[in-house]
Amino acid sequence: MILLLQYTLIFASVLVLVALGGCFSEHSGVINIGLEGIMVMGALGGALMMKVLPADTSAFMMILLVVLAAIALGAVYSLLLAVAAVNFRADQTLVGTAMNLLGTAAATVFVKAMNTAESVDNVSSTIQYIGAKKAFLVNIGGFEFNWFMLLALIALAAAYIVLYKTRFGLRLCACGEHPQAADSVGINVYKMRYAGVLISGVLGGLGGIVYITAGVSEWKFENGVAGFGFLALAVMIFGQWKPTRIALAALLFGLFRALSNVYTGFAFLSAMNIPSAVYNMLPYIISLIVLAFTSQKSRAPKAEGIPYDKGQR
Amino acid sequence: MKKQKTPLLRSNAVQSLLASLLCILMGLLIGYLVLLVINPAGAGEAIQTIVQNFFTYSKPQTQLKYLGSTLVKTAPLLMCSLSVLFAYKVGLFNIGAAGQYVVGAGASLYCALALGMPWYGCLLVAIAAGALLGAVSGLLKAYCNVNEVISCIMLNWISLYTVNMLLSRVKETASPYTMPLATTNTKALLPSMGLEALFSNNTYVTIAIPLAILAAVVIWVLLEKTKLGYELKATGYNKFAAKYCGMREKENLILTMVIAGGLAGMGAALLYLTGFEQWQCTQSSVPGMGFNGIAAAFLGGLNPIGTIFSSFFIQHITSGGAYVDKTMYSAQISDLISSLIIYLCGFVLFFKTYMNGRLDRRAEREAAKARNAKAGVAEGGEEK
Amino acid sequence: MEQSYAIEMLNITKRFPGIIANDNITLQLRKGEIHALLGENGAGKSTLMSVLFGLYRPEEGTIKKNGEIVEIKDPNDANALGIGMVHQHFKLVECFTVLDNIIMGVEPCRHGFLQKAEAREKVVALSEKYGLHVDPDALVEDITVGMQQRTEILKMLYRENEILIFDEPTAVLTPQEIEELMQIMRNLVAEGKSILFISHKLNEIMSVADRCTVLRKGKYIGTVDIANSSREELSRMMVGRDVDFVVHKGPSKPGEVILDVAHMTVASKSHGNNAVKDVSFCVRAGEIVCVAGIDGNGQTELVYGLTGLEPLKEGALTLSGRDITHAQIRQRSRMGMSHIPEDRHKHGLVLDYTLEDNMVLQRYFEPQFVSKAGFLKRKAIREYALRLIEQYDVRSGQGPVTVARSMSGGNQQKAIVAREIDKDPELLIAVQPTRGLDVGAIEYIHKQIVAQRDAGKAVLLVSLELDEVMALSDRILVMYEGEIVGELAPKTTTVEEMGLYMAGAKRKGA
Repeated sequence: MILLLQYTLIFASVLVLVALGGCFSEHSGVINIGLEGIMVMGALGGALMMKVLPADTSAFMMILLVVLAAIALGAVYSLLLAVAAVNFRADQTLVGTAMNLLGTAAATVFVKAMNTAESVDNVSSTIQYIGAKKAFLVNIGGFEFNWFMLLALIALAAAYIVLYKTRFGLRLCACGEHPQAADSVGINVYKMRYAGVLISGVLGGLGGIVYITAGVSEWKFENGVAGFGFLALAVMIFGQWKPTRIALAALLFGLFRALSNVYTGFAFLSAMNIPSAVYNMLPYIISLIVLAFTSQKSRAPKAEGIPYDKGQR
Repeated sequence: MKKQKTPLLRSNAVQSLLASLLCILMGLLIGYLVLLVINPAGAGEAIQTIVQNFFTYSKPQTQLKYLGSTLVKTAPLLMCSLSVLFAYKVGLFNIGAAGQYVVGAGASLYCALALGMPWYGCLLVAIAAGALLGAVSGLLKAYCNVNEVISCIMLNWISLYTVNMLLSRVKETASPYTMPLATTNTKALLPSMGLEALFSNNTYVTIAIPLAILAAVVIWVLLEKTKLGYELKATGYNKFAAKYCGMREKENLILTMVIAGGLAGMGAALLYLTGFEQWQCTQSSVPGMGFNGIAAAFLGGLNPIGTIFSSFFIQHITSGGAYVDKTMYSAQISDLISSLIIYLCGFVLFFKTYMNGRLDRRAEREAAKARNAKAGVAEGGEEK
Repeated sequence: MEQSYAIEMLNITKRFPGIIANDNITLQLRKGEIHALLGENGAGKSTLMSVLFGLYRPEEGTIKKNGEIVEIKDPNDANALGIGMVHQHFKLVECFTVLDNIIMGVEPCRHGFLQKAEAREKVVALSEKYGLHVDPDALVEDITVGMQQRTEILKMLYRENEILIFDEPTAVLTPQEIEELMQIMRNLVAEGKSILFISHKLNEIMSVADRCTVLRKGKYIGTVDIANSSREELSRMMVGRDVDFVVHKGPSKPGEVILDVAHMTVASKSHGNNAVKDVSFCVRAGEIVCVAGIDGNGQTELVYGLTGLEPLKEGALTLSGRDITHAQIRQRSRMGMSHIPEDRHKHGLVLDYTLEDNMVLQRYFEPQFVSKAGFLKRKAIREYALRLIEQYDVRSGQGPVTVARSMSGGNQQKAIVAREIDKDPELLIAVQPTRGLDVGAIEYIHKQIVAQRDAGKAVLLVSLELDEVMALSDRILVMYEGEIVGELAPKTTTVEEMGLYMAGAKRKGA
């Protein structure tokens, strides 16, 4: 039971981080379908940092540097979307899709090249970080507390404050709702959209590293992040683009994702003898059902997905 | 209302072609840079290998044979890109082609291996399975307002796990692969109609290839020449106007996804019923065919005929990727290049607008010059 | 004596690809005056104001404030110079509060955190001083259009702007609200502000402006003192010829009932109440019935309900004696209903289709245009389109193969009118058919509508322009908050009386 709680919380943390990332991007008016690719890049940055840091690095430094690496790579990668969507008025869905494919392909090529360079026989795309991962965990009476859970909580509170209590938040939302209005009062829509996308890169990258360290101690980059970026988008829609609701939605989805990790620990679940594939499918099925019931009334930012063209008459 | 000849650079087709070539060049260039970063020593050779693909073999016979192999995989890719293209024309982004392809593979293989059905039966069931999956996305979009991109991604994963479960029943005991068609059910193999003879007896070359090209032509005719195409494109361009003039928006939307799904499902059957590949029942990621279909669709300028060529090109470099020196690079470098090409395709619209803007300005300058010249003549005339 | 100008725009030229929107235009605004800028749709008024407001950069010309040359690169510069603008389409974020909209861009902050309390006090004080009656905490989407406009005015006052631009501010108001706005404008000038008032309505300019600058087709025509000018002179300057404002039509000869609406109720998409409430009326052959009212009082939903774009919640519709309550859009169309839609870009045209494909939008499925096998008969479509283009004088760059997007608004509208009239309908529903068009196109479309009536068709016209309502209608129905609150005869009523109905101050039987 404690295990279920632990996994639920850590997967919910991932979903909260990434969904908040999507939330910032969409409030600025840019649809970020590329979160999946951003997660892969963040995961890659974090995993590489764990690999290169010596084993005796203090836990604090380990966390700090890994987080910074994930954030940096995620943010840089999100620039691909920002440039295309803001400056070149590209189709945001197309570019986001390309980023998802590119993220996995680039990470695979890179990790394989690295592994092959270390030992010619190693053509896998896997990075191991079993030792380094321990830095994130604190054992509290059987419950493995992960510092990332705290980080997600902080991100949640910060997102709430930034969106609703600051000048930046007011202006960001204006750009996603009515960019012409924002422009007419002297707000630079392009800059705000860049900011929104970059924040989504930061949070998406962070979510990526949390995801690959959540349940396992090595990651095969060929698999990307298995649609988790899209689950986060579903969480965001279900959460109606609002931080507090996103948190609740993330807990629900996290629970179903956690089930596939721990269902064998429940006597009645393992007794039912359901194939593990069904548990693997569960989060996707749940999200489809949830979306079917909530999308009808969804209130997305009005101008999202529409490129802003200052010179347009 | 004088009939004017459109200048060559103004023509949409020429612009699309230019844009696509530019995307390819930039994609290859960036791919080359990536190779350089990884290992400068072999980069030139590797990019050459990717572009050459089957030409890396020296004997013409072998070249022909492996051209055949590339074509065998071009057929399903073409079907997937038609699926993406068709949906996009109606304003839908069918990223679910990947999942529709997966269920097509599952359906065709299960029918062939477990039910012993002949090839045409397997093909039809595969089309139906893909269409059904497409219909789910279409229904969710039409009646529940669920963004088709997200529902498609969810369905991709659901399909993958389901098909893995289903095909585990017909897999070889010792390996994770499904039983080979050639030994289990030869009736299910697509007929070759003598086509293999053209490709140095590459037995995997079948009617799949002409069927896929035929499908491209049919889709072109459907979109450009028929009432249905007129309606669907109108819906894609402006769904409000479509509704205003009484087109049934929801039905058309679902129909579109059904057709798109059917195309992708058929694509899978056109590959797996040749016996060229077996399904790996432990796959943990969705096959890239459907995603490459997006690249091919956009690279082909969203034109069914253009897609024939772009599909071949994408498959050409994907197959070529398998030949790079594995001690230095991985085959995924081709995926990297094709995803770069998709990314660059996002800039095509801007490119066209920019080009038209340049042409407009030039035309304006010339018109002004002509006006001035004329005015000069007129003034001279008055003075006289 | 040297005149003191608040703002001067000298020899401004602004080009867009293909057209010169402003060609060497000069406009001088004196301190403390209301200066009208007059011109037809497309004359370049909005472009000129966008230049002044920093939304566009002109290719040539200079702008002076108090005699000194200034450069306005973006709205921030304009704001710093004390220039504010009420845009024709309000620049308000609907899901924000009035207060958030007012402070946006100049938010009072401490360390990046919003300090709304002090802003709120200032807004309330300003609102009281100028009699604007705006609730700072209401959401913009919940308040009336007039209130939204006053929010825009507060936005300028909050920024302490000295030069106020009003871009077509009266289009969305009732006659009484217009009178209030004029009073607010006079108050503002009395407080020392200078106002630029953009309009194409001569009455309003005559009543409120001190001077008037006229533009035509991007060119500067002249500036006149209103006191020494006349309506006729202004209209001649604006259009370039004498304009006959009267629509010539004989008395109507109403025949049998074509459209019968009984207790129609339509749900609203934007709020929980019904948009159309228990409405009953009829339209007869050979008459033009006009639905008047302020924008957003259910006219759009009324038309959606009649044409089938929205289902009815309650009530029944009869067209030429046949029940069409539950008929599909296309069935209604084929039974003789034509619809010139409110928004030609949203509903009326597929902008990326060619003109010929748009011409057959309502009939492409007829056997004359499509074979039994489902193939389009391209030749027949071309011939049909050519005939309509000829007959209705639709002008375009490449004839039937012109992409609709590249056509002018007037010709796009003519194409729609041609398509809908040529269907030979029993009932023509025309919604704001002349919105955004120039005088020539307006005259043409009015003639076509009267011709339809004289040919014995039933016409239902929905319009926000009171002049149009008065000129064209044989009967007037006034809508207010989803109900028909009055039926008037154009001969016996006045604009003022109509305004009372439109504002809900008066209703039939009361």
